[in-house]
Amino acid sequence: MVHDTELVRKLEEKAKLLRRHSIEMIKSGGKGWIGGSFSEAEIVTSLFFHHMKHDPKNPSWPERDRLILSKAHCCEMHYAALGEAGYFSQEHFSSYGEFGGVLQAHSQRTTPGVDYSGGSLGTGLSFAVGEALAAGIGARMDPSGRRIPRYRVYCIIGDGECDEGQIWEAAMAAAHYKLDNLTTILDRNEYQSTGAVTDIMGTEPMAEKWRSFSWSVLEVNGHDISQILTALDNADRTSEKPTVIIAHTIKGKGVPSFEGRVHFAVMTDEMYAEAMAALK
Amino acid sequence: MSSEYLGEPFGESKSMYSGHNEALIQLAKGNEKVVVLYADFPQGSAGPYYKKEFPDRIYNLGIAEANMITVAAGLAEAGMIPYTHCHSIFAVGRAYNQIRQAAFDRLNVKFVLCNTGMFWTFMGGSHQVIEDIAALRALPDLALVSPSDAVEAKKAALAAAIHEGPVAIRLAEPDVPVIHKDDYPFEIGRAVTLREGADVAIISTGIMLHYSLEAAALLAKEGIEATVVNMHTIKPLDERVVIQVAEKTGAIVTAEDSNILGGLGGSIAEILSENHPLPLHRVGVRDRFGQTGEMEELAREYSLSANDIVQAAKKVIKRKAV
Repeated sequence: MVHDTELVRKLEEKAKLLRRHSIEMIKSGGKGWIGGSFSEAEIVTSLFFHHMKHDPKNPSWPERDRLILSKAHCCEMHYAALGEAGYFSQEHFSSYGEFGGVLQAHSQRTTPGVDYSGGSLGTGLSFAVGEALAAGIGARMDPSGRRIPRYRVYCIIGDGECDEGQIWEAAMAAAHYKLDNLTTILDRNEYQSTGAVTDIMGTEPMAEKWRSFSWSVLEVNGHDISQILTALDNADRTSEKPTVIIAHTIKGKGVPSFEGRVHFAVMTDEMYAEAMAALK
Repeated sequence: MSSEYLGEPFGESKSMYSGHNEALIQLAKGNEKVVVLYADFPQGSAGPYYKKEFPDRIYNLGIAEANMITVAAGLAEAGMIPYTHCHSIFAVGRAYNQIRQAAFDRLNVKFVLCNTGMFWTFMGGSHQVIEDIAALRALPDLALVSPSDAVEAKKAALAAAIHEGPVAIRLAEPDVPVIHKDDYPFEIGRAVTLREGADVAIISTGIMLHYSLEAAALLAKEGIEATVVNMHTIKPLDERVVIQVAEKTGAIVTAEDSNILGGLGGSIAEILSENHPLPLHRVGVRDRFGQTGEMEELAREYSLSANDIVQAAKKVIKRKAV
């Protein structure tokens, strides 16, 4: 399905706005995970502001789609989306990283709109499997006797995170239980904490790995909203298996001087100025 | 003697799992939120029942304990009440991080710690988890329950379903004598005094309760009257009862099938030293790994037998006289 260019343009603007919110947040907190937050900006934007079924006024609506941010250190972009969507006042952005603040250094269920407390990498996909199973329990059935899940689950994982064995335990379980209401978006930004993913632990061939685990595999440019939306639609239509969308992204995307190199950073005045100039 | 226990001779020996599975079957019908999860662990009578009656509420996640426990957390987030089943060594040992995450979020997961403690007789030291109490006791917001027989195992599983929040339930492998009456009122966090005596108090948890009662009977033959407390909930610990029996008897023995370092003995020592210092002896595993053996052989080797409790009681009574 081709998406309306006006919609895509609006979402691109929204992604830019979320980047600005993130930068303000990280400036207030003094430091943060700029690289991985910016690489997931278009993914988070597409989910929150178009694709997912959710209601900021009713964050515990049982039939809402779930977003599980497994790479929960990249919470700034998540918080930006939640604040922008209206889950909480944007005044909280400036309290990111502050003692007693609503916005903790890793996304946590105590923040309105957050369903999963991360921080321990490699566990979010298992949590998403649990959520996806729950969506079908006691749900009504289609004429063939299959449960119709009450909601969909979206799980954003990192590529460095795929070093963790539990990702693959969860991948097996999701395919075993044919969880076609589960879409995983793999933010393939190629960098992890201490260097290039490929240097630290060989994760290639990534697509073949997921395919061999009986997942449906789609690959997109993770900064191309139109491609992301199409992939999300295709994943929704896939039956009998979960889908992974491998989103090829750039760490720090959106601010040229950050791109491809920034992971966690202390925000200097110079960086802030560069970011704001780039995100006008 | 309390009306809550059968008295001696004890009832027939039964597996704690028989009681646990009865509870799961009862819960299946009564609570549509209950889901049972297994990491390739034997399902007993609950398995075929769920598969037939509620096939979308039973999942085997394979030999992948960490995944199972986080899957349970996800189910709980969506409002379900999952009971996870795997060998305790692999829950506490391999999935501690995952249990911690669920506790951090106060998610309504029930971790069934199967074959826990020293008495996983045949399997030996690699499988006998003696650090379970110490490890889990250090997690805020997690309730830790340690039933002593099949009746109590059933009641613990039923009580866990209505306890809002994460609960770990310790189940030991050997068949043990039934101690409790079917109508015994069980409440998480409320210790039960099974026997009253003024000379010494034995505070016991889990599978050690029948040894503790046996020890009290042996002591009585020598004219020593022992109080026996069933501390079935290790956390939140019923401190009121601990202080009460301390004041009454002035000497305490603790009994557990786990390491005394940080275990029940450690907890009681902490409470007493802050509130009511008195002679205390901790019967339990004294910081050694286990090995293969029959229950009685292990009890002897690791000083966990009724006789060890008797000797400990005499020791603390003697110290109190000084």
